[in-house]
Amino acid sequence: MGSIVEVRGLTKRFDELVAVNDVSFAIQEGEVYGLLGPNGAGKTTTISMVSCLIEPTSGAITVDGHDSAREPGALKAALGVVPQEVALYPTLTAAENLRFWGSMYGLRGDALKRAVADALELAGLADRAKERVEKYSGGMKRRINIAAGILHKPRVLLMDEPTVGIDPQSRNHILETVKDLNAAGMTVLYTSHYMEEVEYLCDRIAIMDHGVIIAEGTLNELRDVVGGMDVVAVKVAGATPEVLERVRAIEGVEGVESADDALEVLTRSSGSIMGRLVSTLESEGAHVTSVSVTEPNLESVFLHLTGKSLRD
Amino acid sequence: MRNLFTIAAKDTRIMVRDRAALLVMLAMPLGLIFILGSALGNLGEGDSLDAEVAIVNQDAGETGERFVDGLTSAEEIDAVFNIHVREDADEVRTDVERGDLTAALIIPEDLTERITRGEPAPLEVLQDPGSAVTAGVWAAVVRAGVAQASAQIVAGHTLAEALAAPPSAGPPPGADASGASAGVSHGYPGEAQELELDAVRVTELEVELEKQVSMISYYAAAMSGMFLLFGGMFGAFSFVRERREQTLARMISTPSSTAVIVGGKALGVMLIGALQFLVLLVGTRMLFQVDWGADVLAVVLVGFAEVLAAAGLAMALAALGKTERAIGGIAPAFIMLFAALGGAMIPAEQLPSWLLPAQVFSPVYWTIDSFLQLMQGGALVDVAPNIGAVAAIGIALLGFGAWRVRYE
Repeated sequence: MGSIVEVRGLTKRFDELVAVNDVSFAIQEGEVYGLLGPNGAGKTTTISMVSCLIEPTSGAITVDGHDSAREPGALKAALGVVPQEVALYPTLTAAENLRFWGSMYGLRGDALKRAVADALELAGLADRAKERVEKYSGGMKRRINIAAGILHKPRVLLMDEPTVGIDPQSRNHILETVKDLNAAGMTVLYTSHYMEEVEYLCDRIAIMDHGVIIAEGTLNELRDVVGGMDVVAVKVAGATPEVLERVRAIEGVEGVESADDALEVLTRSSGSIMGRLVSTLESEGAHVTSVSVTEPNLESVFLHLTGKSLRD
Repeated sequence: MRNLFTIAAKDTRIMVRDRAALLVMLAMPLGLIFILGSALGNLGEGDSLDAEVAIVNQDAGETGERFVDGLTSAEEIDAVFNIHVREDADEVRTDVERGDLTAALIIPEDLTERITRGEPAPLEVLQDPGSAVTAGVWAAVVRAGVAQASAQIVAGHTLAEALAAPPSAGPPPGADASGASAGVSHGYPGEAQELELDAVRVTELEVELEKQVSMISYYAAAMSGMFLLFGGMFGAFSFVRERREQTLARMISTPSSTAVIVGGKALGVMLIGALQFLVLLVGTRMLFQVDWGADVLAVVLVGFAEVLAAAGLAMALAALGKTERAIGGIAPAFIMLFAALGGAMIPAEQLPSWLLPAQVFSPVYWTIDSFLQLMQGGALVDVAPNIGAVAAIGIALLGFGAWRVRYE
């Protein structure tokens, strides 16, 4: 299958700030393509340019054969957009919201009715269609937010961090919805700073930082970036920044990430550094409760490429 | 293009569920019309306008003197006008031009002589253009007085000719012009109205009033003119809220162009304004017996022009204010300024003369003036220039808003 989305040399400047810098990627039809990166990496700016919400400073975007500069209307008709914020009208009911967004994509009459009913079913909210959205929980709003983006059965669905700030149950529902939509043939461009989601959903992944793509490939290809490395996971109390600096200085340590009482150390020789790692931590006053060695993941890749955590 | 109506319908649906907006747009104007109209009384029932007018009698003979006596001694006229008898015609002209006097009557020095010779003797009635309504009442009073006075004069001076002349088909012009005309007859008792007369002619009568407007009707026009603009404020709120909650961005990501989106938002404000105007029209008619005039089409077109101005104001405010709070600060200031200039708070003619040129920029001014003209028996042709002025202001504001507004 050919590329349904092509982005070439995309750049966006806001005065002195270069939010997106010479980004290029192509998405094959039927793929789920992930843009992974921390907040401020340029994911939302990229997706905003693809959806013609903001104009690129330079570069070219083609969706389903339509160029964003020459045929923005046709390009937008091929897209469904699920924005990061819940972009719905709180005083309208779920059904009224969906009817409005369906109409905006040209659906009328019976086709609109069917699309609204299908979307409500997909969101699992058919029985609450006549309730105002303002009365919904955060997760329910997110589900209707997605439903509003797929009413017209777009060829490509853009999803910008669709699971931010919701409960695990709703998150699982959304992830399964994305899987189902993709299984039905929809191409998806999915942005997130949650590594687990991207690992679970995406066929190919681009890792972004500071407005540029620093790595791209399948999950296995990206893991190969840190090929031969292990992640030593340590549960430790009292790991101060000074302690972390001492750990980074240990020979063989490629990167260190800490969160709460956990420490992840990227290394090519887990066996040889384990002893020094524990003794360094204990000598600095930290209290180690467990140590284990795991396979590298996207977090490890990001840590290896940038020296910092996705959560930073 | 159909999405234009989709957006407008959605905005209307949202607005009618907004209780705060309904309170401001419907309950407040109806309440204020009732309070102001009741508190300030009813012009038609004889309350004073306290309008300052002057008479300059330059006539060397007795006719002018008798005319002045007739106007100044009638209680009904005195209740409505503060009449000053002055000497210097040029000074009076200047005062009217400056707006210090609402109107004036200047009697020429050869009035008696002309009448004696049987020639037309023009009187000069001066009006402050900024006080068209009150000045019009004065003109009607003078006209009625002239009609009866001239009948008296001819009956006295050319009796033989008068007796030979055939009776006229109807009453003299202006005799039914206003309730105040009856007051003139107090100074000119007699029964000579049946004669056809051309001895005295009133010139420069710019406004001919067939009926007066009660205060409750005045404030119905004024509050409608003002509160229709509040639709613009809520329209701006809607735009900024859509920008903040990302629904505007989502709309832009649909195949609709920004022109359709802006047009749809503006159309929504107009649709809401039209509903608001309908409620105000019917409400004031049913609750306060306000007579908006016989030319319904003209009334509707005036209202339509004002809601166009409200739509323009909505876009301009959305361009000027980044947040609802900012718009909540500047919108009432703009609307109150327009309203004050337009005469929604006090009659426009009572504003200081130096403010009067600024009235042309207020859609409220043109709207109130139009409604009052229609209430007084005017027709579409009379208010067409006003409608054009309001529409032009609306289009200018809309253009500015569409040019400057941010979508992200």
